[in-house]
Amino acid sequence: MSVDGRAPTATGDPVLRVRDLIVRFDSGRNVVRAVNGVSFDLEAGGALGLVGESGSGKSVTSLAILRLLPRPTAKIVAGEIWLGDRDLIQLSDREMRRLRGKEMSLVPQDPLSGLNPVLTIGEQVVETLRAHEDMRRREARDRATELLSTVGIPRPRDQLDRYPHQFSGGMRQRVLIAIALALRPTLLIADEPTTALDVTVQAQVLELLHELTAQRGTAILLISHDLGIMARMTRRIMVMYAGYVVESAPTAEIFARPGHPYTAGLLRSIPRVGDAGRPLTPIAGSPPEPDWVPRGCPFAPRCAWALDVCWHEMPPLEPMEAVTFSRDPRPGRHLLACHNPVAADEVEGGKPLRPGFHAAPPPEDGLVPQGTT
Amino acid sequence: MTAPPSPASEPALLEVRDLRVHFPITRGAVFRRTVGQVHAVDGLSLKLATAETVGLVGESGSGKTTLGRAIVGLLPPTSGTILFRGLPLSAKRAAPDRAGRTQLQMVFQDPTASLDPRWRVGASIAEPLRVNHVGTRAERRARVSELLEVVGLSPGHARRYPHELSGGQRQRVGLARALALNPAVIVADEAVSALDVSIRAQVINLLQQLQNERKLSYLFIAHDLAVVRHLSDRVAVMYLGQIVEQAAAADLYSDARHPYTVSLLSAVPVPDPTVEAGRQRIVLPGDPPNPASPPPGCRFHTRCWLRKKLGNPERCAAEEPAHQHVSAGHTAACHYAHQVPENVRLSTVVPTAEPASGPTAEPAS
Repeated sequence: MSVDGRAPTATGDPVLRVRDLIVRFDSGRNVVRAVNGVSFDLEAGGALGLVGESGSGKSVTSLAILRLLPRPTAKIVAGEIWLGDRDLIQLSDREMRRLRGKEMSLVPQDPLSGLNPVLTIGEQVVETLRAHEDMRRREARDRATELLSTVGIPRPRDQLDRYPHQFSGGMRQRVLIAIALALRPTLLIADEPTTALDVTVQAQVLELLHELTAQRGTAILLISHDLGIMARMTRRIMVMYAGYVVESAPTAEIFARPGHPYTAGLLRSIPRVGDAGRPLTPIAGSPPEPDWVPRGCPFAPRCAWALDVCWHEMPPLEPMEAVTFSRDPRPGRHLLACHNPVAADEVEGGKPLRPGFHAAPPPEDGLVPQGTT
Repeated sequence: MTAPPSPASEPALLEVRDLRVHFPITRGAVFRRTVGQVHAVDGLSLKLATAETVGLVGESGSGKTTLGRAIVGLLPPTSGTILFRGLPLSAKRAAPDRAGRTQLQMVFQDPTASLDPRWRVGASIAEPLRVNHVGTRAERRARVSELLEVVGLSPGHARRYPHELSGGQRQRVGLARALALNPAVIVADEAVSALDVSIRAQVINLLQQLQNERKLSYLFIAHDLAVVRHLSDRVAVMYLGQIVEQAAAADLYSDARHPYTVSLLSAVPVPDPTVEAGRQRIVLPGDPPNPASPPPGCRFHTRCWLRKKLGNPERCAAEEPAHQHVSAGHTAACHYAHQVPENVRLSTVVPTAEPASGPTAEPAS
């Protein structure tokens, strides 16, 4: 069975709308601007991928949506998160608890910490069902058996009485998927769902996630640093860097025609079939320290395309001018936050090809230290 | 017993012969008794030539880390020999061949765990020199500065503590420490796996550059098949303590013959949506079996799609397959290696844009 794009269940109206989300961590000693004005839509049955390196704000964005940010250090400073017709930021904790699990749910990265080690698998699935629906214990147990069998766990009735440590990593992740999909949520957030798993088990779990979400029309927000998984699982990709969305476009287009130097750099950093042995083109430097506050574009210090303006002004996320490539009949928009986008003929080489062009050096006062704004 | 021939005609720099590393499973506190053995590495043979990179892939529990640790002397082998420049390395720590041991160094996956947090980086890099009584204090200090520059850091980094460095910088320090005694072989165990994509590319390039400058040989252990392909001249695939297929990198990725390798390649997501949409995947059922009680016969037969396709022949469950010759330097331990259908090989395996090249990679320019 192949996982080629999404089933035609995707409709026009967004399940999730995030607008200008700003999240900060305040430890008392320093402030980390984890998410700096993120906006996006995810339509029903859609599959959106969130790509970025550690510290880019991708997991923080997903935790903000679930309202599971660590308190009291993390705070949603501004923004709106609409799930259907409700702004999640305005909801009480009690209302959020009712929503989580039922209308939106999470498949976490580490299947061991996602399960309670002292409760049986059955108790944990039944607990989720009974927390949200008026169900008798017997009835919930039957439903749990059914769920475990849907996610491909053999002899599900016997497995209900076993504990998480008696399961392998892949089986635990299946149990978590069963719990996450138990109440047929409209939105599933999967944060690096297969990072802890072996390749062959990863393939099983991805296949399962795809099948179940496509069947039920569940929208999926998939977070991963693995561009291969993104190519397989998503219809649209959002690239984050230092808490900003720097590019957002249909999956095929991101790969064929990246516009942001960071996206192009990521694609040139992964070994590709056909150039084994040849050196990769890495991105210079390293990701910024979390508490660093750039005045302009946060990528400027590592960018080969940087202009003077990049050091002073963060460009807005706007439609890219020339949409040149798309396999998708309904292409969707290609959004880009860059003063000096990568030209089509520069994608392959991973560096600017304009004669005489040099990246603008940082201005004397370019790196504004924390706490001045 | 399963010794695949090496394509190299010259004597191997490093040779592993029928190596076994078993771990006892014990029960009881006072009267400890052994109730079983985990066959982590079970009759494995491998050769590594000068300036060659052999990639070792396999899932967790396949024994690849155990093999790497046994080679550098961190684990005593249960049986079998490890030859370095034709001479056997002893398993004893204080053996007279200690000088030979210094030629084999290891780079670990997690640089945070492999560096002492209370030591300045310079002290960590100088440790192998100090332990082996190399040079005076001043000479060692000069050597540390030199090594830091070799791995792309500045001599000033010697005074920093590990927590003051980024993940990529820490991995460079781990590499500098491994290079301190001018080794001939570096066992890199998931050395780039924990790094972010953009940083990983920098370290991969550094590994290639060092190999070209110093004629280093790498045993590159990783689960990331794309990275392994990028760096390796030859690739060996491990399953439950044994090598099931071995070939020049280009051959393995374009013409895999062991059903396990085929499914492994088909399972890896390719960062190209056009390719992804057109690929066929063979999803293996279940998890790898417990290495304490490997299945009889071919160890892969319990999950094998080819066996099923061929009508579950008895032979797979009864007889351990020997390595079959596929082409020069390419062997696969499967009774039916020649019956992997061509259409399956072509549709699951990543399409190659390049013609199959010889076992030596072109040097990086």
